[in-house]
Amino acid sequence: MLGLVCGSEGFTLETRLALLARKGDQRAFAEIVELYKDKIFHLAYRMLSNRHEAEDVVQDTFLRVYKNLDRYDENQKFSTWIYRIGTNLCIDRLRKRKPTYSLDAEMNDQEGVDGYSILPSDDRTPESELLLSETQQLIRQAIESLPAKYKTVMVLRYLQELSLQEISDVLDMPVTTIKTRVHRGREYLRKKLERKL
Amino acid sequence: MDCKHALSLMHDYLDNELAPDQILLLKEHFAICPACMEHYDQLERTELMLFGTKTQHFEPISGFVTANIMASLPKKAKQRVWMQWMKNHPAVTVAAMFFMVMFISALSFWNQDRDLMVKGPDLDKLIIEGDKVIVPRGLSVAGDLTVQNGQAEVYGEVNGNLTVIDGSMNLASTAHISGQVTKIDEAMSWLWYRITHLFSEVSYR
Repeated sequence: MLGLVCGSEGFTLETRLALLARKGDQRAFAEIVELYKDKIFHLAYRMLSNRHEAEDVVQDTFLRVYKNLDRYDENQKFSTWIYRIGTNLCIDRLRKRKPTYSLDAEMNDQEGVDGYSILPSDDRTPESELLLSETQQLIRQAIESLPAKYKTVMVLRYLQELSLQEISDVLDMPVTTIKTRVHRGREYLRKKLERKL
Repeated sequence: MDCKHALSLMHDYLDNELAPDQILLLKEHFAICPACMEHYDQLERTELMLFGTKTQHFEPISGFVTANIMASLPKKAKQRVWMQWMKNHPAVTVAAMFFMVMFISALSFWNQDRDLMVKGPDLDKLIIEGDKVIVPRGLSVAGDLTVQNGQAEVYGEVNGNLTVIDGSMNLASTAHISGQVTKIDEAMSWLWYRITHLFSEVSYR
C-alpha cells in the first residue's frame, strides 16, 4: 500500500506521466499528448475516414483524459485507458452518422455530383489520391466498408497493433468475442481484396 | 481434419494462438488440400497488406500540434489539486475552517477594545489619570485587578493577581502583590488568557 502511495518506480513511463499530470504537472500532460496524438489520430482517421472529424476526436480524447485523470487506475495500462476513450468517441460519432449514404451513389438532383464532392472536410483531393498507391486505396476502402464492430477491432489489431487481450481490455469485451470478430473481419477483407491478392 | 476445422485453426494460427501439435495437424491438412492452402495464403497476404498500411502516413493538417491541444484544455489544474486534497481530508478541512472562523472572531475582539478597562474590586479607591491606573500607597485591593490598554502603577497592596493586557506596569518598592503578576501583549497569549479565564469562570459558577 505504501509503495502505491509513495513510489511510482514500478509504473511505466506513461503511467508515471499520468500520475504527475494528475498532480497538475502541465509538462507531463504535454508529454502524454506528444506520445499519443498521432496514434489516436490514426485510430480515429481509420475509423471515421475523415481528417477533421479525426482531429476533433483527438481533441476530445485529450480533453476527456485531462478531466478524468483522477479516475485513471494506475494499475491499468495507460494505453488501454486512452484507447478506450478514443475508441468510444469514434464509435459514438459513427452511431450519430445515422443515415448512411453510399458515397459512390450519384445524387438525384445534382448531376455528376457524388458523395465525395459534398464531403466538406475529407481529404480526397486529387493530390492525396496520387500519393496513395492503388493497393493502398483498395485496402482503405475495404476497411472503410467494414461494419463498425468489425472495423473497431480490425483497426485496433492491424493499425494500432494491439494484442487480442489488449483489444478485449479496451473494448471491455471477452477475448473470445474479439477473436471471432478478428476472424470474421479477416475473412471479409480477404473477400474484398481477393482480386489484389 | 475437415476444411471447416482447418479454417478455424488457420485463424488461430494467424493470431499466434495455435499449439505446436495443432500446427502440425494444419500443415498435414494443407499438404492434402490445395483449396485450404490457397485460402490460408490469401489470409496471410491480407494480413500483410493490413500491417503494411500502418506505415502509411497521413500528415495531420498544419497547426495540429501538442501546443494547440494543450491550449484547448481548461485551466483549472491548480484549483483541482486543492479541491482533491479537501475531498480526501474532509475532517481536516472542517477543523481548519472552524479554527479559522474562531481565530478571525477572536482577532476582531482583540482589535475592538482599545479603550482603557479596569476590572477588580474597590475601583472607586483607585486613581485613574488618563490611561494610568494607580493603586495608591496604603490602599489594599481585596481581589484580582485587571488593567487593559493602560499603565498600572502599584504603590499599595493587591491581595490577588495583577494582570496587565496591552500595557505596561510599574511596581513601586512598597507594592505588595499576593497573587501572580501577568503581563499580556500578544494576541496569542491574550487568546490563551481568554480561554483559561473562560474555563475558570465557568468552573466557578
